[in-house]
Amino acid sequence: MMPFQPGLVHTPLTPFRAGVGRIDFDLYGRMLEFHLRHGAQALAVPMHAGESVSLTDDERRALIKLAVESAGKRAPVIAHVSDSGTGIAAALARAAQEAGAAAIVTTTPYYWTPPPSMVLQHFVEIGSAVDIPFFVLNAPEDMAGSKISADLALKLMEKRPNFAGVVDSSLDWQFMIELMTDAARVRPNFALLAGGELLVSAAAIGARGLFSPLAVIAPTLMRRLFDLCAAQKLFEARILQEDAAALRQIVKPGGVAALKAAARVMGRDCGIPRSPLLPLDAAAEKTLTAAIGQLTALADEPRGW
Amino acid sequence: MQNKFRGVMQSPVTPLKDDFSLDLPTFERLLDFHVRAGAPAISWPHHKGESLNLTIPERKLFAEAAVKVVNGRVPVTIHVSALAVEDTMALARHAQDIGADGILAITPYFWTPTLEGIEAYFVRLCTSIDLPVLSYNSPSYLNGVEITGDLMAHLIETLPNFVGVKEASFNSEKFLEISRAALALRPNFAMLTGVEFLLPSVPLGGVGSYSAAGSICPNLCTELFDSCTSGEWARARELQFKMTRLWHLFKDQYPSSLKGGMVIMGRPVGPTRAPLPTATPERQAYIRAQLEDLGVIASEPHGW
Repeated sequence: MMPFQPGLVHTPLTPFRAGVGRIDFDLYGRMLEFHLRHGAQALAVPMHAGESVSLTDDERRALIKLAVESAGKRAPVIAHVSDSGTGIAAALARAAQEAGAAAIVTTTPYYWTPPPSMVLQHFVEIGSAVDIPFFVLNAPEDMAGSKISADLALKLMEKRPNFAGVVDSSLDWQFMIELMTDAARVRPNFALLAGGELLVSAAAIGARGLFSPLAVIAPTLMRRLFDLCAAQKLFEARILQEDAAALRQIVKPGGVAALKAAARVMGRDCGIPRSPLLPLDAAAEKTLTAAIGQLTALADEPRGW
Repeated sequence: MQNKFRGVMQSPVTPLKDDFSLDLPTFERLLDFHVRAGAPAISWPHHKGESLNLTIPERKLFAEAAVKVVNGRVPVTIHVSALAVEDTMALARHAQDIGADGILAITPYFWTPTLEGIEAYFVRLCTSIDLPVLSYNSPSYLNGVEITGDLMAHLIETLPNFVGVKEASFNSEKFLEISRAALALRPNFAMLTGVEFLLPSVPLGGVGSYSAAGSICPNLCTELFDSCTSGEWARARELQFKMTRLWHLFKDQYPSSLKGGMVIMGRPVGPTRAPLPTATPERQAYIRAQLEDLGVIASEPHGW
């Protein structure tokens, strides 16, 4: 298996048309162009920030296909195939490969919170459905505490040659260090990617990639932060890391609704989230708009698409 | 002014005789060993020093010994966390009376206090003494109780002797939320971590840690700190990964396994008080094999 280090990965939002709530594919195409022109080295679609869980299987396939076509040779596309059922996720993984995705990413099964042996089998079956590299997303906060251990990752390395890396949202230093200690032994080109914009500590431990949902708001900041970390200029990266953390804290309480509201502040309106998520209420949107306006770190960011 | 609490600071274990009573001569020897082996500061008794299994008079007795033996060669802080806050207050006053250089205090045990409760606790503690106070944040051990960035900022603004934190969440976001709030207000605020997790914390403004394995591998502690502060990240990664393997070796039945490892390094410090077990000969043999595999026995001092 060839090593695949995706670098700075943007995770686009999914725009829905007002009223009917169907995906606005025209706007999605424009959004992808925006990401490709503003520093994305790869695209991951549709992640949780892209409301993957609220999309039908057909919609997910359509977004993956559109992303592959739009990106062309400019950037690889990583298809997010997480699902509750192993067979459903594996089928989506196969479809993604057929559509031309460069890799897939999956997290633990939704809702079931199975024991480690079942999680391992889930990943093995999804990974076996494709020949392209696959990544595992470790996101305990998103997944009701369900997380993967370094031991599970090690077993998966042994079983699946195309298991290429972990996208970590746990932010757990012990897990990341243990993972990379094991990987150095059995799979030296194994990739650790930060699953959000807290990159400096992960980069110190050995992360060479970043999945960035905030890139739709601040692509310039994320690119600068990523480049410094990639060059291992970690002390120099601290100020940008603090700026990114400040932005993250503004958006975090409102989740996807806040991401979309913040994108709107930057002149990149992509509507409101799909049910069951609610848009921010007027007061929350006002607070968020004011907080974003006070971030001097966003002065260099593009406005509009 | 640079904060005096920095580097990999050593928190000695508590040597016990076979009958589980305090072993003062060995404690004195251990303190001296740590100072000679390069500890930039001493702090006692951490959980690793079985703080919660010692009586308050025992804690006072050894605190006095620590200040006396170290004798100003490096700063000495006293860990004053106790189940009863009244005991904490008494230990803090005692630390000041005996000439310690500071105290360390965790968020209150057991009661899962609110942020207001944590604030009131640190205000009471810090205003009761003149010594520098280091706080201790350990949400994973204390049922999620933690000092947030906002609370940390408020305490810094309110309390002139609130000088640092041992931030032991080992989580990028929790560390960063505190460091960016604290360092903006007090640039020499001591952002410390636990268990020598220096590689992920130093680039975010961390200036040191307390040490888990320093009684086994003082040289590794110094090398890891130096490689992080000089930004030699590839070297730092190698050393941090080695240090973390040691942490995994010792965190099982901590600090019993650590005391077992000290036997192998020629620095026996006796058993561990119940409910913690004492490392069996089989466990010691396993630790010896691991220390050999890691090259620790060859690269670290043997004996006192």
